[in-house]
Amino acid sequence: MFRNNQSPRALMLSAAISVAGLGAAMPALADQYSDAAKKWVDSEFETSTLTEEQKLKEMAWFTQAAKSMRGMQINVVSETIATHEYESSVLAKAFTDITGIKVTHNLIQEGDVIEKLQTQMQSGRNIYDAFINDSDLIGTHFRYGKVVPISDMMEGDGKDFTLPTLDLDDFIGLDFTTAPDGKLYQLPDQQFANVYWFRADWFEREDLKKKFKEIYGYELGVPVNWSAYEDIAKFFSEDVKTIDGKRVYGHMDYGKKDPSLGWRFTDAWFSMAGAGDKGLPNGLPVDEWGIRVEECHPVGSSVTRGGAVNGPAAVYATQKYVDWLNEYAPAEAKGMTFSESGPVPAQGNVAQQIFWYTAFTSSMTKKGLPVVNEDGTPKWRMAPSPHGPYWEEGMKLGYQDVGAWTFMKSTPKERRLAAWLYAQFTVSKTVSMKKTLVGLTPIRESDINSDAMTEAAPMLGGLVEFYRSPARVQWSPTGTNVPDYPKLAQLWWQYISQAASGESTPQEALDGLAKAQDNIMMRLERANVMETCGPKLNEERDAQYWLDQPGAPKPKLDNEKPKGQTVPYKELLKKWEAES
Amino acid sequence: MKMNKRKGFGISIYIVFVLLPIYWLLIMSFKTNQEILGALTLWPQNFTLANYAVIFTDPSWYNGYINSMIYVSMNVVITLLVALPAAYAFSRYKFVGDKHLFFWLLSNRMAPPAVFLLPFFQLYSSIGLFDTHIAVALAHCLFNVPLAVWILEGFISGVPREYDEMAYIDGYSFPKFFIKIFIPMIRSGIGVTAFFAFMFSWVELLLARTLTSVEAQPIGAIMTRTVGASGIDWGVLAAAGVLTIVPGLLVIWFVRNHVATGFALGRV
Repeated sequence: MFRNNQSPRALMLSAAISVAGLGAAMPALADQYSDAAKKWVDSEFETSTLTEEQKLKEMAWFTQAAKSMRGMQINVVSETIATHEYESSVLAKAFTDITGIKVTHNLIQEGDVIEKLQTQMQSGRNIYDAFINDSDLIGTHFRYGKVVPISDMMEGDGKDFTLPTLDLDDFIGLDFTTAPDGKLYQLPDQQFANVYWFRADWFEREDLKKKFKEIYGYELGVPVNWSAYEDIAKFFSEDVKTIDGKRVYGHMDYGKKDPSLGWRFTDAWFSMAGAGDKGLPNGLPVDEWGIRVEECHPVGSSVTRGGAVNGPAAVYATQKYVDWLNEYAPAEAKGMTFSESGPVPAQGNVAQQIFWYTAFTSSMTKKGLPVVNEDGTPKWRMAPSPHGPYWEEGMKLGYQDVGAWTFMKSTPKERRLAAWLYAQFTVSKTVSMKKTLVGLTPIRESDINSDAMTEAAPMLGGLVEFYRSPARVQWSPTGTNVPDYPKLAQLWWQYISQAASGESTPQEALDGLAKAQDNIMMRLERANVMETCGPKLNEERDAQYWLDQPGAPKPKLDNEKPKGQTVPYKELLKKWEAES
Repeated sequence: MKMNKRKGFGISIYIVFVLLPIYWLLIMSFKTNQEILGALTLWPQNFTLANYAVIFTDPSWYNGYINSMIYVSMNVVITLLVALPAAYAFSRYKFVGDKHLFFWLLSNRMAPPAVFLLPFFQLYSSIGLFDTHIAVALAHCLFNVPLAVWILEGFISGVPREYDEMAYIDGYSFPKFFIKIFIPMIRSGIGVTAFFAFMFSWVELLLARTLTSVEAQPIGAIMTRTVGASGIDWGVLAAAGVLTIVPGLLVIWFVRNHVATGFALGRV
């Protein structure tokens, strides 16, 4: 019979081995995250404004801060642009590896993001743990009181979860996400602007320059005012007509009855004409939506209530939009939506476009396009948008889209804080440089001024120069005057399309819009759903009273077409360099 | 002969018109975005599978198809399980208000799905069913069960009552009779019912996307991500569109033999 007297010793041995193994495994387990951090820093986040050591330290902080949340699963959502695609496919994975919190970064169309956000706001049920929501909703968020202000979170329950090296002062878009109460409601994640786009190669051609000077009496160059833009549009569409045997146009736009027609206007078209008041980031008391506020309460958008939606400047801006679309753009432009018209200039028959988003930069620098040189540099450039006759120094001059992290009060605290960690990760200095190079949507001063950006600049058609220039601050999102962005924004395309199709005159269309906008604000006032700064509409009075007051609404100018003014692109760059 | 030629011509024109959009979708899915937005081409100049590669290599894309198929299958199964006994009862038994109930069953289908959106959302999120497959499947049952009962009732009424009685005399228990004898007799009806339930659930987007966020997100909601601030990704959108047609095609292929009798809804 087999005597099993060996067994206690064997047992002890195996126990000892397993204890030793456990001991060896423990540090390995703790190191799994720092290994991941090292791997990501070396492979993916090589380009950064931080040193290797600083990067690893920042990543180690994330590992440490997330310790109690390991194994958690959170869901965040954003619209689809290259930056968010990068976050969804790369950054979410990196964050999971480094912290142990599993993030699903969902991508859906922007309209659907807003819909989910509204559903969560109105029902109080948690759908996503964080949203990347355009800062155009800042006026909505601070009034309804459903959003956790970032600045409160940073001092309150999120204090231990706030990255010490976040460096808020380095962000270029904080003005846009700060409400009149001084609190920061959203944290910028990506930004792009709406600027002027033109074919620099054509603008340099001697024959065209000479011809333009002969006809219009001044130099062909980047238009400073709308008169010059109009002249150049006419020049290419009617005087030049063909370049190298191809029909060319001096203007491109879109005009289909479609929700995207709303952005064409709410993305600051009236401010370019000069309809609002002075003040940055948005005019005060009247902003570019034509909404007047008194002590943060919206008081009206019709001229009869002190607003400027149907004032002479807005009517002028709408008239110009319609005229240029009809006279100078390709005939099919009238039937196009935003997404259909966007890629058209890349096909090489458009000389300039007054309303162009820098989000198109990477798709317009692809090799093989008619607007890209052999060496990969673009034939086009972007420049500051020209302004209309009502515009004055000190006013905003264009639109900037700022997608920003937004946290709801209806999200459970634990999940919200985990999402807050991820949000900070996507904008941390370790990753933001790489993200900026991939998506071309800069958010940090330090990234914009980096050597990596200088290196990339020749391929980007003026994007870097624009973001480095002092002119940048004149480009801003919808401001805090707009009390309910989703409800009000949807009115615009319905009325603007009437003007675009010729069903009604610009004045009639804007009268309708002003009235509809005031009606919604009146309903908001009656329903009393806003925690702070809800609308308090002015009594209607004679329009002339308001037109006689200083500032917006401004009375009609006798001459809406002053002499055209242009500036050579190179001089513009020099001026920026000198100022910055 | 002349008559036949003209008929053939008419049918050809008809087929061309019906198939043209699908053909367009199909060739778009094999083109690059640059080609789609550039010149008008009748077939791909630079044939590419890149658009399909995007969908098949990215889990957040192909999971949309899996999610959709899961809740659609659940919906079809639940619909049939509920509707078969109900249809049998309406066809065979008389009870107070049976005619009225039968008619008013359809009232659920008279309202657009949007009406039920918020109640469903509130209900499902309060009992923790939000963002689950079963939530969408149950929501779709609201529309599919009444229709299924109506279709099946027609088929069942087409089967003479004598079969039930004969089976009873032969000593079959009711469940055994129902499964062994009755269901095979109305199987084309069941096929057609399943087809209708499948089709409604497969193309319905409003409820499906409101009741989900991540885990059960339908393909229709994921397709919206091709629309961005820098334009539409036409190629991928077309590829995704082609792939949404495939399951429907397969289902029709399998029920094609029953469709002829099925579309008369059993009333021969």
